[in-house]
Amino acid sequence: MGAPAAPDFATVSVEGLVKMYGTTRALAGVSATFAAGEVCVVEGPNGSGKSSLLQILAQLAKPTRGTVRYGGLPRAQARRSIALVAHAPLLYPQLSARQNLAFFGELYGLERSASERMLERFELTRLADRPVRTFSRGQLQRVALARALLASPALLLLDEPSTGLDVDATEKLVTIVDAERQRGAIVVCVTHSEDFATRIADRRLRLKRGQVVS
Amino acid sequence: MKGTLRAAWIIAKKDIAIEQRTKAVVVSTTLFATLVVILASLSFYLTPALARQIAPGVLWVAIAFSGLLAVGRGWAREREGDAMRALLLAPVPRGAIFLGKLIANTLFLVAVELIVAPLVALFFHIDLLEVGPALLSLLVLGTFGFAAAGTLFGALSVRTGARDLALSVVVFPLVTPALLAAVVATKQLFAGAPLEEMAVWVKILLTFDAFFLVAGLGLFDALMSD
Repeated sequence: MGAPAAPDFATVSVEGLVKMYGTTRALAGVSATFAAGEVCVVEGPNGSGKSSLLQILAQLAKPTRGTVRYGGLPRAQARRSIALVAHAPLLYPQLSARQNLAFFGELYGLERSASERMLERFELTRLADRPVRTFSRGQLQRVALARALLASPALLLLDEPSTGLDVDATEKLVTIVDAERQRGAIVVCVTHSEDFATRIADRRLRLKRGQVVS
Repeated sequence: MKGTLRAAWIIAKKDIAIEQRTKAVVVSTTLFATLVVILASLSFYLTPALARQIAPGVLWVAIAFSGLLAVGRGWAREREGDAMRALLLAPVPRGAIFLGKLIANTLFLVAVELIVAPLVALFFHIDLLEVGPALLSLLVLGTFGFAAAGTLFGALSVRTGARDLALSVVVFPLVTPALLAAVVATKQLFAGAPLEEMAVWVKILLTFDAFFLVAGLGLFDALMSD
């Protein structure tokens, strides 16, 4: 497994988060704290605001009202330590796994050896020079995880990561989430899979109509 | 600023690497621009003198349409696989993403023009040896401005799902000043006018380029935010 890195912040807290898309209220005053070394599964029916919460935590959307605190770090500085794995791979399909990891590694100011280490960690060395558009769903998810974990993020956000994965690939995903928990990362996961949630969750946050209900 | 330039170059290199693998932008846009030039030469050619008057319009129409195609395809790469979200997560100034895409789009368009401009010269009786350096300057200035406006508003297609049609509706009215200035300056160049006469059009092109470069660096973050 990759070398553990000390997290840049030990908690992420949101307070009074409201997110409006036009007249639609996606979040209606969500407050919560996520701690290092803990996997929090966010659950709720479709339209309950789970993805909006993840988007805001990832700094891909701005809250209409409310605050997000990444420990004591300024928002811009915290961005380096946030990673997202979604159902979509967030990769360039035309490039190989090696090129994708090298590109994102360079953007994060990492040495080329960092992406090579991730290829080894995720057992991708043999496939490394094939365009990722030729990969199976499971292989693609491994590259997506390798990309996300390149810079040893303090906050790992998972948006339906197990969708479409077979039993073996799901097993590997559980192992990786466990490794991230051991490393001290803050893991926030949105999933509809009760089985997957049961296996990884230390804590659950249930949303309904944009509000925390339990 | 150094960090922005560094990140922009990494992003441009990535687009060049994708282009080396797929050849999707340069080949398709070159074919399209070549077709425009050939059809125009068949339709409008009467005499060598008249051809030289028509040539600037043909050249810039070919560049404008193929340019829009190139910019649209450039952003489509960020939509596929939802790679744009990973790019937005990276710890680089958002303006660097705009600048990187702009560098790549400009390079791809200049590559297309290196083929299309000699074709225009061949079909429309232009002496490239005589006008070559000045024409290259006009092409670079006009292309940069066109690419800057196209890259900025092409980004909207990633966020909104609006595709090429919406891009053309937004971009063409915006780039009209640059296209007009480029066409008139090129016309004067082909007519043998002294360089001083073209100065006003060159200034318009420079102003346009600077405006959209600054606007892109400043507005890109806001355009990309929900």
